[in-house]
Formats: sequence, C-alpha cells, structure tokens
Amino acid sequence: MSTHHPDPLRSPPSGPNGAPLWVDGELLSFAGLVEVARGGRAVALHPEARVRMQRSAAWVSEAGRGLRTVYGVTTGFGSLARVNIPPEHRALLSLNLVRSHAAGVGAPLPVPVVRAMMLLRANALAKGASGCRPLLVETLLAMLNAGLTPVVPAQGSCGSSGDLAPLAHLGLVLAEGSGGGRAVLCGVEMDALEAMQRAGVDKVRLEAKDGLAITNGAQLTTAIAALACWDADLLIQAAEVAAAMSVDALRGCTRAFHPAVHAQRPYPGAVTTAANLRRLLQGSSLVDSVPGKVQDAYSLRCTPQVLGACRDSVAFATAQVRVELNAATDNPLILMDAGPMDEGFGDDPDNRAYSAGMFHGEPVGMAMDTLKIGVAEVASLSERRLYRLTTGLLSQRLPPGLARADQPHLGLMLPQTTAAALVSENKALGWPASMDSIPTCEDQEDHVAMSTTAARRAARVLENSRRVVAIELLGAAHALAFRREEEPGARLGQGTGAMLAQIEALPGALEVGGAPADAIGLIDAMLLRDGWRSALPPLQPVGAIDAQPTGGHR
Amino acid sequence: MSAPLFHREPRGPLSESAPVVLSGGPLRCEALLAIAHGAPVVADPAALSALRGWDGAVLQQKRQWLVGAHADQLHSDALPAAFILGHCAGVGDPLPREVVRAAMAARANVLLHGVSGVRPAAVEVLLAMLNAGVHPVVPSQGSVGAAGDLAPMAHIARVAAGLNGVVEGIPAFRPTQKEALALINGVSLTAALAALAVVRAERVLDAALEATAMTFEALRAEPGCIDARALQLRGHPGVAQVGARLAGRLSGSLLVAAGRPADAFSLRCAPQVLGAAADAIASARAVVEAELGGVSDNPLCFWGEGPTPEVVEAGNFHGASLGLCMDHLKVALTQLATISERRTFRLTYGQLSSDLPSFLVAGTGLNSGFMLAQYTAASLASECKGLAHPASVDSIPTVQHHEDHVSMGPIAARGALEVVECVADIVGIEALLAAQALDLRLSGAGEAPHGPLAPGVEALRARVRAVVRYWEDDGVLHPELSAVGRLVRAGALGIEAPAPGAPATLPW
Repeated sequence: MSTHHPDPLRSPPSGPNGAPLWVDGELLSFAGLVEVARGGRAVALHPEARVRMQRSAAWVSEAGRGLRTVYGVTTGFGSLARVNIPPEHRALLSLNLVRSHAAGVGAPLPVPVVRAMMLLRANALAKGASGCRPLLVETLLAMLNAGLTPVVPAQGSCGSSGDLAPLAHLGLVLAEGSGGGRAVLCGVEMDALEAMQRAGVDKVRLEAKDGLAITNGAQLTTAIAALACWDADLLIQAAEVAAAMSVDALRGCTRAFHPAVHAQRPYPGAVTTAANLRRLLQGSSLVDSVPGKVQDAYSLRCTPQVLGACRDSVAFATAQVRVELNAATDNPLILMDAGPMDEGFGDDPDNRAYSAGMFHGEPVGMAMDTLKIGVAEVASLSERRLYRLTTGLLSQRLPPGLARADQPHLGLMLPQTTAAALVSENKALGWPASMDSIPTCEDQEDHVAMSTTAARRAARVLENSRRVVAIELLGAAHALAFRREEEPGARLGQGTGAMLAQIEALPGALEVGGAPADAIGLIDAMLLRDGWRSALPPLQPVGAIDAQPTGGHR
Repeated sequence: MSAPLFHREPRGPLSESAPVVLSGGPLRCEALLAIAHGAPVVADPAALSALRGWDGAVLQQKRQWLVGAHADQLHSDALPAAFILGHCAGVGDPLPREVVRAAMAARANVLLHGVSGVRPAAVEVLLAMLNAGVHPVVPSQGSVGAAGDLAPMAHIARVAAGLNGVVEGIPAFRPTQKEALALINGVSLTAALAALAVVRAERVLDAALEATAMTFEALRAEPGCIDARALQLRGHPGVAQVGARLAGRLSGSLLVAAGRPADAFSLRCAPQVLGAAADAIASARAVVEAELGGVSDNPLCFWGEGPTPEVVEAGNFHGASLGLCMDHLKVALTQLATISERRTFRLTYGQLSSDLPSFLVAGTGLNSGFMLAQYTAASLASECKGLAHPASVDSIPTVQHHEDHVSMGPIAARGALEVVECVADIVGIEALLAAQALDLRLSGAGEAPHGPLAPGVEALRARVRAVVRYWEDDGVLHPELSAVGRLVRAGALGIEAPAPGAPATLPW
C-alpha cells in the first residue's frame, strides 16, 4: 500500500513548510491533518491517486452520455432524483447545486477548521471512488497552498447528506460562474473571485457530478472532529499531569495506582492513566507521607478510573474518526473494481455507480458526542481536585485558597469558582446532538446525523475543559511551592517537579496578588503550545492517535 | 499581560438620543437596550445625592474569600484593590460591548437604591465610563451567578477603580471596602444578558407571528383554528392573543377558506404553541424587570436616624430567579424554532403544500430551489434543542463550602442569547419561503384561487420582497438568508409603520 510513497522526509521541500503532504485518499493521519490545517504544510495530489481518479471520472463522463440513470448526474438531487436531467443541463445542475446549497448562517468558522475540511474533501475525492476529475482536487490543494480559504458560516448543516451547506460555500469560491462566495486570502477577507485571482488559482468550470463531488460528505464534521481528537489526547495528558501534581501536593496515597490493582480490572484507559501517574510521581517524598492515611477522596484515588474512562471514550472517538479520515463519502460511489454482489442478489456488472449512504455523518457525530462526555468529565474531576486544593479543611493543611499570609489577597478562591462555572457549562453543552434528527428534503432524507452540531459542541467543551485543567495546574503549582517551603528537603515527583518548573518559568504565572485571569491565561497558552510535554517523562497518548507528528504518512 | 483592560470606543448609534435616567427604581428592558447601544446615562439627582457611604470593615466578614490576610491587615488601604483584583478570574471570549454597557448600567441602578453603603462617586464613575465610551474587556465565562457575577463584575470594577492606572476622562475613584464589594456582589451581568434576551425574544416572537400568518395564507390553512371563541375557551392569554393577531393579518383572505380539512398541527396548533411561548416570554420580562428594579447586593445598609446604618446580611446576590426564567425562555424559544421549521418543511414539500411545486421553484430537478433552506432550519432547530438544556438545574459547591448552592444563571442567560440567534434565522427562513410561496400563488401556481392576498399578508410579502427577490431559478441562498435574518432582528418584518421620528430598524 505505501510502496508508492517516497519517503516524505527525503522529498524535496516545497517552500517554507517543508515537504508536501501527499494526498492519496489512503494514508492521511491526524498528524498530517494538523500540520496542514494549523501549520500550513503544503499538499500535493499523489500521482497514483490521480490515475485512480481519472479512471472513475472517465466512467462518469461515459455514463453521462448514455441512457443509464446515475443519481446526481442524470437526475436531480434528494427527492428530486425522480426528475431526469437532459445531458445539456448536467453542468448547470452542478453549478445550481453549489449555489442553492450555500445555505449556511452564523459566524464564520476558524481558518484552520476550513483548511482541514478542504483537505479532507480533497482526500476523499483522491480515493478515486467519486468519479471526480483530478482538476477539482488539484484546485482545492492549490487553494490550500496559496493560503486561500472560503468563508464558511458555522451553522446550518444537518451532517447528512453530508455537510452540504458548508461545503457548498467552498464550492462558491471554487466554481466558475457561481456568482458568490467570500474568501480569506492570507488573513484578509475579500470577494471569492478576487481572492482566486490574487492567489493565482483558476476557478473550475463544473461538469456533471462535480457539484456532488464538492458537497457530498461530512467533511466539516470530520474536520472539527479530527482536530478535537488531537486536542483531546493532549488535554487528557495535561489532566494527568495536573492530577499527579495535586496528588503530590495533597500527600496522596499511591497504592491506588499500583499496576497489580489495575490488572484486576484492566480497562485500557485506566491501566494507562495509572501508569502515567506512577511515572509522573516517581521519586516523590510527599506522597504516602501521612501516617495512618490509607486512601484519598475519589477525585484523587479514582483518577485512573475516571480519566481512564475518558481516555477510552476519546480512543473510541479517535478510532471512528481515523476511519473517516480516509473514507470516500459521496453518493453515488463509482467503484471500478467492485466485484460481484453476494450470491442471491441481482446485479448489473456494467453499472459502476453505487447509490448508498456514505455521506451520513452518524459515525462521526456519535463519536463526537462520546468524546464530549469524556472531555467534560476530565474537567469535572479536575475541578473537584482544585476544590480540595483551595479548601482548608480538605487540603492537608495547605492555606485556604492557597493564599499567602504576608499580604491581603484572595489566593485562588475565585479561579475555583471559574472552574465550577466551566464545568457546569459543559453539562449544558453535553446534550448529545446526534440523538436528534429532523426529517428533511420531502422525507427523502428522513433521518439525519446532526453530527456537525455534535462536533462543534465537542470543540467548545474541549476549550472549557482545557481552561479548567489550566486552573488546576495553577492551583497545584502554588500548592507544590508551599510544600517545598514547608518542607525544604521535600522531593517532588519527576514529572510533577518538571511541570512545576515549567510553570515557574512563565513570567508572572505564580505572582501573588495579581489578577488570576492573567495567570490562567498564561498556563492556558502554554497548554495550547504543544511543547510542554518535552520536559516531562514520556506519557502514553490516547490509543489510535499519532503520538508525534513525524512529517509524513503513518 | 499585554491584553487591554478596556476599549475606548466612539459612542454607539444611539448616542445622540435622549439620556436614560437611572433612579434606583424600576428600569425597563428597553431603557437598558438603549444604553447598551450607546445612549448616554444620567443618575436621578435626588437618588444620587441621597447615597451614603458606609465605611464598615465589611471585608473582614468575608474571611472565606479574603483568605490571605492577617487580621491586622484587614483595615489596610490595599484591601479593596486586592479584593477586586483577586476576583478578576474570568476566562473565554470577551463579552460584546452592548452586554458590558448593560451590565454597568444595571449595577449603577442597583447602587442608586441607596442601600449598598456606597458614595455617589461609585455610581458616577460607572456613568462616566458609559458616557465616555470606556468599555472594560470582560471575559464571558467564569461566573456561577451567586454571590453575584463576581468575576465579570470585577473586570469592570478593576477599570472603574483605576487599579491599573487612572483612565483619562474618568474621575479617579478609590473604593472603600464596602464599595469594592458593592461593585461586584450581584447578578448585574446576568440581568443585562437577560434583558437583551427578553427584548430579542419578543422581537423574534413578533416575526414568528408574521411568518405564521404568511404561511397560513401560502398553504391555504383552514381558519377554524384561529376562531376567537375557541381560543378564548382555552383560558391562556397568549393563545387568544396569537389567534387574534393571525386573524387580523388574514382578514379578507380568499386563500384561507373555511370548510377545508383541518390542518396539521404546525398550522392548526400555532395559537397554542406560539401562545405558550408568548406567555413564557411575558413572564420572563416580568422577572427580568423585577430584577432590574431591585437590589442584588449584600450586605444591605438600612439608614435610620443614627450615623451608622443597620447592616443586614442576606442572600440577595443569588441569581436563581434569573437562571430559572432564562432556562424557561430558552425552552419557549425552542418551541418557536421547532414549529416554524415544521411549517418550512411543509412549504418545501410538494405533496403537503396544497399543490405548490417542490422546493418552491417551478423547474425543480435542474433547480433545487429552497431545499437547503429547510435543512438549515432543521439544523438550527436541532441546535436549539441542545442549547435549551437547563443550566440552572446544576450547582457546584464553591468557596470552601461557603457558597454551596449557586445559580448558574449567567450560563442560562448566555444560552438564551444563543438560542434567540438561531430562532431569528429559522423564522427568517419561514418568512422567505412563505413569500416565495405567496408569489407562486399569485402567479397561478397551485390550487385556485390565486389571489389577491389578504391586505395584511400582502404587506408582509412586500416587506420580504424589499430585501430579497423572487426566485425563478436557483440562486445563491446564503445572501438571502442573511437578508431575512437581518429583517427579523431589526424588527422590520412587522407591518406597523414606525412611529414618527423613530428609527426604521431597531438595535438588536
């Protein structure tokens, strides 16, 4: 499978962003997607993918001239599949699709999300199962390489039959004669036509099926979802670091993390979280130092069980999204080598068009609702540890609010309230969007995914939870600093000490008497920069996600 | 941090309008909306001059918060500043300018009651900031709505007290202990969010009634469902009001004709559903205006003859009333969303629309017409369902067990503002599609008769046509959806002409 790929690390660089990422519909990784979406890495259509695309596109072109009925090529869309479209109108059909489906509302999506959506759409088409001309993908990739992204309103998609409206907004920018669309070119918003001209990318004159090729898949859902999986993996690791710091600062009992314990109930997430906690706490003289105390409150003791379950939720979601990253999602699929149907069914071996429901966003939507719950629980547990750190009765004699007694100030009393507000907000956002469905399109599309809403909500929950973990890190850092003063010879865990050192190195983060919002912002920004892990002992990532971007295919 | 603590902005669009007078008494949502959009503010002179400051060491009683101080520091001059700064713990995107202005005005009105133990200067500094267009940057997240909106109000108080330097054009203000507390210890942000949500909800309800009337005409509804006798019998005031409004718009209609089969619920039960929403919105206004005219603060200073007040510790900062009513408002708005979407579905559905063409353009097949508009409405309606999950059912103990039940009111109110945006677009879509359907009827599509339209409905059709064209063939849908969305938000769909001198569109 991967033999046709040159080693990307040895490929000639394509400008400031290094070697291009080959787009071939087979090997897109989370890391590659993040590099293109957020890092601006260049992209190129793989030559073999090009050949596959040409083969199925030729079939569509041929079918369009014959008598065969092919959905969306010789017919209208949705319930209008009942209407036959004569050959001379089939290009216009594509253009009309893009125009009339550009039905988004609300605030525009962030540029990295739109870049991820474009890459995913290009990758789905590059699979060669869409009957789509390479020109369309090459244009999408040229737009990405030029730093040109359409303005895509965030709301309005049901996630089935795909993210029609958001992708149609992309189509407006790409299609010649669309008569609309706005785009952002290197940070400046402008009319789509002007943006394409300034970027030196030719608009595409749409042909039969091109409209469907652009719009027919849940790529916006998947774009948000893939970035969410990537971020959730980092968040869980940060939460484990914060938990370990709190355990250290609260002189916790580590037997709860013993490998033999977790072997008795071997959920993969719990086993991993326990292992990460042990690694982070290794060498600490503070843990297990309270005579007679054999166990801690749940927010400490049950961290492997709770964060482990979060890990497993995120791992499930990640595995689902991983399938979607390299899936063909439009309808009909053009399968040139499908082989015969199971025995006992009639088949038309000459018909390479398979009308099915690959665009349906349900797998990704449900995955995002699952991820959302897992990520919300990360914060819920974190807030309770923070509450213990700031509550005198519960903190093994740390000062109330973690406040120093040498000047009047509030310590971290209010950040705990902030964390509680964020945790509560997550609960309201946790309502599973994919559980809903509203019939559309004259009952032809009578069950829809609402996956886009699920993914957008998951992204919000992630942001809230990241801030809660940032606040716990702030609290735990203050607490560990107190312990060091209280007991000058105390040793911290190898990971907890390293994280404390990183936080201490942020100018002003542990300043006493300032606005807590400033300190929270500093730590939040540190979590957003993916460099904080390098100073720590290696932590196990969530299963099924790429641990480290290597700059190539995985 | 280099992030600015405030923005100094030119005054808003209403800055030439008459000043709003705050007296520490009743305050209408509209007055707060006007301030939000830039109207100047003055304090009633009598109320202002009656304010008496109390210099009690009130923060000493707040030991659960002011944890870092030794007893001998509790009279320190640095205490109020430390108290305010320590509460600046908000996170997330900054609140819109309008919300910040409304929160500042709502707080000023609370202080003007004269029971907060603050000097006139505490009110004057807030009004000076409002009138000079000095708008603190207030993070939107982090308040649990009890003991007040502490973090967001502290981000305002930080600028008012000049903690990072005196702001040019704003009088220097050094808060006492009680003033530091009084600036933040109430749900004035939640009240501001809620007031904007109520005004917007009423405007969207109004547009929803108009859109419903248009759909009644376009789908040739059977008018028995708006029979005043029937609706009066139900007893709910909103039901009768909605029925009367629809009957007024449809008066003189040829298309809406008695004797046809009873309609589906999205038409037939419109008075009951929209009426229930109308009653809920009306009750939300009553709660919000009680809040705006009341005192959300603690402790309270009751002045008698003596030199010091009687000081009462109570729980008037708790945001439960607002939280509950904002959750109710979200649910009511979601009803508007779901029923409007179902009427939009019918408008696009050839076999349910009394013979109109599928997706409301003649040449469907090559054209998809308004197919996707219904998807968008469905997506938004579904989003409302998620956002309608009540925030006030939650509570998380905070501040060392001391604040062990909190309201989550600001989360409910921010949610209501999100829902109302979705519903505005959904209602706009219904109006857009109903106008297209009415034009189709006028051009002879569907069953006879083909017109003329009832005068009330014709006026509504014309309002929509003033901003979007009739579609013969597919066009780009997005600009049309934006145009009708603006129409709804500006209160410009209703057919009453604006009062002389009043702006043609209202601020949102």
